Amino acid sequence: MTDILDISRPFAAYDRPADAETERAVTRFLNAEARTLDREAYQEWLDHFVDEDIHYWMPDMETRNRSDARGPYRHGDSAYFDDTLSELKVRVARFVEPSAWADNPATRHLHLISNIEVYETGDPSLLAVCSVFTNVRNRNETDQDVIHGRREDVLRRHGEGFRLARRRILIVQNVLLSKNLNTFL
Amino acid sequence: MTMCRGSCQGAGRPDMTPVYPTAGSYPDFARLVDRDTAQVDRRVFSDEAVYQAELRQIFARAWLFLAHESQIPGPGDFIRTSMGEDDVIVVRQRDGSVKALLNSCPHRGNRVCMVDAGSKARGFICNYHGWSFGLDGGLRGTDGKVYEKDESFEKAQIGLTPVAQVASYKGLIFGTFDPEAPSLEEFLGDFTFYLDIMLDNEEGGTEFIGGAIRSEIDCNWKFPAENFVGDILHAFWTHQSGAQAILGGGVDLGKRYDELAFQASVYGHGIESNLDKVGNTRTLGYPELVDYMFDLSERAKARLGEVRARAIGAVSSATVFPNMSFLPGQNTFRVWHPRGPGKIELVSWTIVNKNAPERIKDLYRKGVMMTFSPGGVFEMDDGENWEYSTRVNQGFVTRQQPLHYALGLGSEDLERDLPGIVHKGSMNDANQRLFYTRWAEFMEHDNWADLQNGATAAPARPKAAAE
Repeated sequence: MTDILDISRPFAAYDRPADAETERAVTRFLNAEARTLDREAYQEWLDHFVDEDIHYWMPDMETRNRSDARGPYRHGDSAYFDDTLSELKVRVARFVEPSAWADNPATRHLHLISNIEVYETGDPSLLAVCSVFTNVRNRNETDQDVIHGRREDVLRRHGEGFRLARRRILIVQNVLLSKNLNTFL
Repeated sequence: MTMCRGSCQGAGRPDMTPVYPTAGSYPDFARLVDRDTAQVDRRVFSDEAVYQAELRQIFARAWLFLAHESQIPGPGDFIRTSMGEDDVIVVRQRDGSVKALLNSCPHRGNRVCMVDAGSKARGFICNYHGWSFGLDGGLRGTDGKVYEKDESFEKAQIGLTPVAQVASYKGLIFGTFDPEAPSLEEFLGDFTFYLDIMLDNEEGGTEFIGGAIRSEIDCNWKFPAENFVGDILHAFWTHQSGAQAILGGGVDLGKRYDELAFQASVYGHGIESNLDKVGNTRTLGYPELVDYMFDLSERAKARLGEVRARAIGAVSSATVFPNMSFLPGQNTFRVWHPRGPGKIELVSWTIVNKNAPERIKDLYRKGVMMTFSPGGVFEMDDGENWEYSTRVNQGFVTRQQPLHYALGLGSEDLERDLPGIVHKGSMNDANQRLFYTRWAEFMEHDNWADLQNGATAAPARPKAAAE
């Protein structure tokens, strides 16, 4: 497996920015993905944005001393997501049930994506993409949850477009300041 | 202690021996739970005075879950947790024992440990004035030895306040702030029989998978605790969507529900189980785990007997009073830390058998994440229920309306050869009634003799020889 596809290895030393056209295309892809998630079109998200080889990981962020070799997160420890396609499909299967009470009435979603950087990798079919996000969910009258974080994505070229092959989601919260995570980030 | 005006030498020296609060008696609050009518007054979920009484009567006295032994394997390994709202460090000593210490410097009160966990610490140093404490909590020194140079300074009795008693049961470390509390085993009583389903179904015991998932829910801490103590009923409605996603159908009661399913309660600790062998494990969605559970259940017969071997992976749930819960076979393990009457911090882990194959441990980690974590297909739908069960009580008139806990009145099973107060059927409010009865006992009584001999104590009735 190419190093970049190893979810446990953080991005490091990518110094070959993709050309402007690729960067624009990736930005369009990420914005369209965000809008798809805002619409709760989760099956569409799986069909058009997610690679069959997806590894979608969001570790829990521990507060650790700087000198602690373990660091704030470690693959193989507990996580919010550590999913392949089959697991993402299970989550989507719940969302579409009318009895998914935490989503009925519907949650109002907003995914704000910014700080997009696109880099070439050693593999011409793969791009390393960094971005940050603000995720806002609002429910019922006044329930509001906001999550900020950083994403490190690997996009695989797919026809004229891309598919999401890896996503590492690093949030800034230690205690998740929300009762649930009824969304994808 | 009287303070001198500054001219005397030593007469006003501070007495820094630890202070452990004494309990009181709150009969008015105890009456909020009406055993005769199976009703609970909603003020137990919303009233600030009740909440403050809970911190004193329950969280400053009961044995509370602190850590799993596997989280702090070596000397200097530590985790930070809560006992009620009190911040506590749990740390392995050089001699292998475990101490728990209030995470507050006796000088100006600042926290001395800011992190969730760490390993091989030599001690804890306060960031404010550099007071440093050993693993045992004793004061080792102060920055620049300024205090030490003051001849009236006595550091021998200064330290981080130790949790009064710390003890383990099969890998689980508990602590109590009450020096008078009975032993952990007395506090758990016969409930250890049921804890062993999770903790001792195989040689080698259990361990926690690393890390912890922490989240906030705007609910009273008792709603999730009572949910796990004996509310399988909600699974069919609340978790319909999750069951459909994972199982392609509803939650299954098991073929022999009427004959096998039960609730059992001891001192407010409770478990409900359908004894269907694999129902909880099946909800994780990995057939490999179901095969593992059938095999484990078969092997465990010799160790635990027929009944408990059927319980290891069954549709079931459990709470140890007041706020530690787990799902056998499903393997989520969690604590509901109170953060005011209307908020909790939920900390959850995955518990696995130490000797299970690595592949099985990892499937458990992933399965628990998929079901009982904030993004899990079951847990997602629990939080909003508990939040609105709590929040609606802001309504003055609403909170005058008592809540109904009367399912399964008259269903006590006096014949069944199981420890504790046993009721027929897992769809029953019996354990929840006993949970609140225990809560009322803690509100009422200021002494352990009364606490351990009330209505929630397991009946001393003849049982056949232990399995």
